[in-house]
Amino acid sequence: MTPERWDQVGKLYRTAREVRPDQRAAFLKKACGDDTPLRREVESLLEAEAKAGDFLAAGAISDAAKALADEKPRSLVGRQLGHYQVRSLLGVGGMGEVYLAQDTQLNRGVAIKLIPAHLMADAESVRRFRQEALAASALNHPNIITLHEIGEQEGRALIVTEFVDGVTLRRRMRGARLSLAGAVDIALQIASALNAAHDAGIIHRDIKPENVMIRPDGLVKVLDFGIAKYADRTGWRTSREAMVQTTPGAVIGTLDYMSPEQARGLPVDARTDIWSLGVILYEMVTRRLPFTGTTGSDRIAAILGREPELLGKRRDKVPQELEKIVRRALAKNRDERYARASILADDLRKLRGALTEEPAQRFALPMAARNFSSSSLRRAVTIFVVALITIAALLVYFRHRATVSETASRSGTSLASIDSLAVLPFANESGNSELDYLSDGMTESLISSLSQLPHLSVKARSSVFRYRGKENEAQQVATALSVQAILSGRVVQQGTNLAVYLSLVDGRNGNQLWGEQYNRKLADLLALQNEITRDVSRKLRARLSGIDEQRLAKHYTESVEAYQAYLKGRYHVLKNTRTEVQNGVSYFRQATDSDPSYALAYAGLAEAYRLLVLSGEMRPTDFLPLAKAAAQKAVEIDDRLAEAHAALGFIIFWYDWDWNAAENQFRRSLELDPDSEDAHHDYAQLLSYSGRHAEALDEIRRARELAPLNVRNGAIEGAVLINAGRDDEALVRLRETQKLDPNYWFARFYTGSAYIEKGMYAEAVTELRKARESSDVSSRPTSLLGFALAKLGRVAEAQTELKGLLKLSQRRYVSPYSIAEVYNALGERAETFAWLERGYQQREPRMVFLKIDRKWNNLHGDSRFQDLLQRIGF
Amino acid sequence: MAAASPEEVTGLLLAWSEGDQTAFDKLVPLVYQELHRIAHSYISRGHRGYTLQTTALVHESYLRLIDAKSVRWENRAHFLAVAAKSMRHILVDLARARHNLKRGGRAQRVSLDEALVATPQRSADLLALDEALGRLATLNPRQSQVVELRYFGGLTEEEVAEVLKVSPRTVRSDWSLARVWLYRELSKE
Repeated sequence: MTPERWDQVGKLYRTAREVRPDQRAAFLKKACGDDTPLRREVESLLEAEAKAGDFLAAGAISDAAKALADEKPRSLVGRQLGHYQVRSLLGVGGMGEVYLAQDTQLNRGVAIKLIPAHLMADAESVRRFRQEALAASALNHPNIITLHEIGEQEGRALIVTEFVDGVTLRRRMRGARLSLAGAVDIALQIASALNAAHDAGIIHRDIKPENVMIRPDGLVKVLDFGIAKYADRTGWRTSREAMVQTTPGAVIGTLDYMSPEQARGLPVDARTDIWSLGVILYEMVTRRLPFTGTTGSDRIAAILGREPELLGKRRDKVPQELEKIVRRALAKNRDERYARASILADDLRKLRGALTEEPAQRFALPMAARNFSSSSLRRAVTIFVVALITIAALLVYFRHRATVSETASRSGTSLASIDSLAVLPFANESGNSELDYLSDGMTESLISSLSQLPHLSVKARSSVFRYRGKENEAQQVATALSVQAILSGRVVQQGTNLAVYLSLVDGRNGNQLWGEQYNRKLADLLALQNEITRDVSRKLRARLSGIDEQRLAKHYTESVEAYQAYLKGRYHVLKNTRTEVQNGVSYFRQATDSDPSYALAYAGLAEAYRLLVLSGEMRPTDFLPLAKAAAQKAVEIDDRLAEAHAALGFIIFWYDWDWNAAENQFRRSLELDPDSEDAHHDYAQLLSYSGRHAEALDEIRRARELAPLNVRNGAIEGAVLINAGRDDEALVRLRETQKLDPNYWFARFYTGSAYIEKGMYAEAVTELRKARESSDVSSRPTSLLGFALAKLGRVAEAQTELKGLLKLSQRRYVSPYSIAEVYNALGERAETFAWLERGYQQREPRMVFLKIDRKWNNLHGDSRFQDLLQRIGF
Repeated sequence: MAAASPEEVTGLLLAWSEGDQTAFDKLVPLVYQELHRIAHSYISRGHRGYTLQTTALVHESYLRLIDAKSVRWENRAHFLAVAAKSMRHILVDLARARHNLKRGGRAQRVSLDEALVATPQRSADLLALDEALGRLATLNPRQSQVVELRYFGGLTEEEVAEVLKVSPRTVRSDWSLARVWLYRELSKE
């Protein structure tokens, strides 16, 4: 290219940018005439602009530093360090990288933590750090992680500890809400660990949910003893605080667990850990932090000056004793705080005994802890006391020995960050869109089996499917979904041959971590699916426990035919139009015909039937009994299938109106899969319509956290807020949701609904008209529209809407609830009750709204209404 | 090693701009040190913070490295241009050294389908960028210079305008075209 030509390109490019994107093609065609290369050049620049994002925005020194930083974490994988074979990177955190390694001498898994070189600046810090870690190592307490060795690798300190195969408390808290007994039990175990450490003169200083691991058997392990202090000494803490101040909200703050004296920079003692444990306990019970603020300094101000809200304001049925414990642990003045962890532990233990009757306990505690009867608790306490005495003796020995040998020691390490992954929808490159079901289905199966793995957070289907069929840039997607890695793939089916190409990319830098090509026969689809799951998980975790392998390899069916039919069923159902769902039903039936023991296909069938009723407005009595039978069948075949329990819970709630039984199903589902977005979403509605607003909000927000881009969650959060009488907050959430997808009728529908509650009927009318335009089947916007018009006094228009609904109801099922709504607004009470009664007779699912929906407030004094409520189970 | 003081760096840059080659040699380790400091802060902050941090950090690092205010105003434009050029020089040299090291070492790529990873990286590969910038200079030297000053020199639009003696608007327009062109060039590989 010549400078003159480039000049020409540049000018045209600048002009084209001024033109609206949809008119650019025409503009360029005209401007370039026959000069096709010129047009192509400008077009390719425009295209590049769309993709360039923040390219070059950061500056060279920052990019260079980033490249430098990125090189480090990969350095150890695959290497042999003494008798440790490094398998994989478990995480990178503030205090360095953590690797999973195999101890080849003792043949066991270990975690290796590398302390960053810049923290090893001077020999004095290193010496003191070792001393500290060694002292903590001598504790030998069941709730303190075991340290095997402290070593050195190329000038960096290495800490080798036991590998705890569990989840961090942070992750556990993200799952189903902990029961009170469960929360107290975890706090008790942490208090025990602290007590042992404090007795030995060791303060943790950095107690937070990331530093607490929970094993599948319920045993709690506290990590990182002795490290925080070291970090303070080397000034690391200072830089971390600086970060908190410069980027509010960007940091999962250690700040949140900091005691007032710590926040003030005063010297600390054991009571700082008691404060932090108090914060954790508060968070476990309420799912909220006691001290919040949008900036770091706001949060510090709250820690220093504000009294936290009572637990009882944020959760029902909190015993007074628990309030007292938390208040005492969170006393600003440390002289008013628990003086020793042992006293706190005593109080927790007493409370724990009193709480065993709580019914929710069965669902909320990890398996072994569930069976932790009071007799075994007593036994544990006895052992613990004996252990304490032994520790005292051992301490003297180990302390002495510590100065001689560096290796026989224990302390802590942290699986500093939990791995997270998004599986992007595989591309179907067979050249035949009928095979989309295969690429979509494989993606979905992989998501669901990888979600079973501990330590791994996998983005829900609804979050990733918006990227389907698009060119995606891994880093951008990783940032949008806040995950560390992206798995993408292509599927090609030619005749009976199937080829799958996979690529795992590091979301932080776009580097490929792994790539593989699979060539198989279509008949081997099931085996291939398992193989892929295993390979991917092995890439992410060096070693899977036996249980993990089982979870992954779990075949829901042995029949390829049934599996294919199932995938097709899912593919059609997810399109969620009436015809597509009906197609889906026939595929699921095919699947259950080929394999009558295929639990997942029954669960799919249940889901399809319920969609026919809720989105397709088909008669509930025609389909919900079928849905229930299918869900029951699924549970019967496989009681551990989370999807099946969620589906059953949903039907029991909407159709049987049996609130308690439905709640049990949801809790069971969430126990089996704490990350099930659907279960959180469904459970939220049950809670909301039974008036448990705070809990409902927790659940729906959890669903939204799991799938932030799924507009359904935003709309239902709006509904939950409306039900709680928080109309303005609802409007904010609904507006945000509409930004994600302006054509989503359901969000508009609830926006209209919120306006009605605020008495802003004209605004409601506008929204509801728009909602009706974009909803193809539902009569719900129409009935609310009629309602709003009637309230505005535009009676004739309201009656027109009503007539439309009545006419439609002669052709197909229209929810009597909807029709009753309009009658009620028109003040025709006899008709209102007649239609509500019809709703009751026809088992209209939305009758469950009756108690909470404020549009019926005028009927509350009517005995017919009370009678109806009673019959529905309120 | 003590941290580099802005006065020190500025003094070295000035000396270099006046032809003192030894000043450059003294400058290099100071820049590397700063680079490592930032890299460490990335690591200790956990990698996800990148995009949020970068602007602040870039700013911070230039404040630390260069004390433009202490340069007399007649020399300022010249000084800023020199600072940017030297930064480009140093950073690209470093990238080249690391690149060679990697190639000399054991091959790192596993068997993979290259087509799957053909998406370009957002953060620029400095080596490729330097080459592309050379090509851009043959098409339009000013555009290439704008990139050098802004990206390597960390200058604001106004400062670039001051150095090049054009309007900020021209700088913006040059920058946006050059950036897109460079992005495309780097995506081709």
